[in-house]
Amino acid sequence: MGDLIGSLFLLGGALFLFSAGLGVLRMPDTYNRIQTGTKATTLGTILILVGLAFMHPAWTFKLIILIFFVMLTNPVSSHALARAAHAIGTAETESTVIDLLEPGTDDDTRERPE
Amino acid sequence: MIKRILILLVLAMLAVMFLKLASNYHENSTLSTLGQYYAERGPAELGAANLVTAVVVTYRGLDTLGEVTVLFISAAGVGLLLRRTRRTDDDEDLDKGDRAEETAGTHKPASEIVETATQLLLPMVILFGIYVFLNGHLSPGGGFQGGAIIASGTMFLLLALPESHISRTLIAMTESLSGFSYVIIGVLGVILAGGFLDNRIMGLGTYGHLFSAGAIPLIYVFVGLKVGFELSAVLDRFRKEDSGPL
Repeated sequence: MGDLIGSLFLLGGALFLFSAGLGVLRMPDTYNRIQTGTKATTLGTILILVGLAFMHPAWTFKLIILIFFVMLTNPVSSHALARAAHAIGTAETESTVIDLLEPGTDDDTRERPE
Repeated sequence: MIKRILILLVLAMLAVMFLKLASNYHENSTLSTLGQYYAERGPAELGAANLVTAVVVTYRGLDTLGEVTVLFISAAGVGLLLRRTRRTDDDEDLDKGDRAEETAGTHKPASEIVETATQLLLPMVILFGIYVFLNGHLSPGGGFQGGAIIASGTMFLLLALPESHISRTLIAMTESLSGFSYVIIGVLGVILAGGFLDNRIMGLGTYGHLFSAGAIPLIYVFVGLKVGFELSAVLDRFRKEDSGPL
């Protein structure tokens, strides 16, 4: 039973990781690619680790620590990468709605799509 | 069109190459004479639970000393190539609009998120590095790996707090002292035990415990410190502008 549930989690994680790879290929600009490469891989990795915990209950504690570190480091590193990309003026895609890192921009200046 | 045909051609050639490799491959079922010697005598002779470490640090210890030297020379080379030259104030070649050029020398402060994450993670990264090289004789890992992890902690620090000052004197002193102690242990092996870098100058202890395998943990501590500080010095050299005395 544990093996079956674990395999389902592994499959789900693999699907998310696949969609991350697809997103990195298909997304229009750097920022969107960073975004897919972060969100989808974080969830995909977590799902795979949870699946492993079901298959090997003895590893659960170590896997929880791993999940904690993945959740902590993955978003932070992508955040730093995206800020660095913005700092050297990497181009945004044309359909960008708002750029909050640009000086003088905040949530109120957002142009709502009609 | 031609590009596609070329790609297909390269893929076909790769396939032929790997097919040849794979079809002629048969796994070795017995150890070589040397491998058998290491596997049979190693644990009893040197007391290291991780046989790879026993080979790397003791049987082939001189090679490891050579590797440490290679790393030292490359770090020295980086230091020589990236010697700091202060930017003159009226730099006429500065292109207007080139953001990377204009902002050179002024560090953009890291965001709060990165700083907070660094405060949380940096101690753990360094602790993990120390763990890896202290347990080199028991589990996978060792001086080089632990040192690299410590250097990645330095990288973290430089990213989060670009203005932070890293003492060159401390780095140079630690690095030289570690390298020196490593060689001294090797020479002690000649005097007290069977040869250069012999680990039996100290008691072998209980097999599989932290304090075991003679001088191997001590050697790995020195290698780890040396590699860690050396790589940290390399990273520090890559910073754009000097933020302290050389």
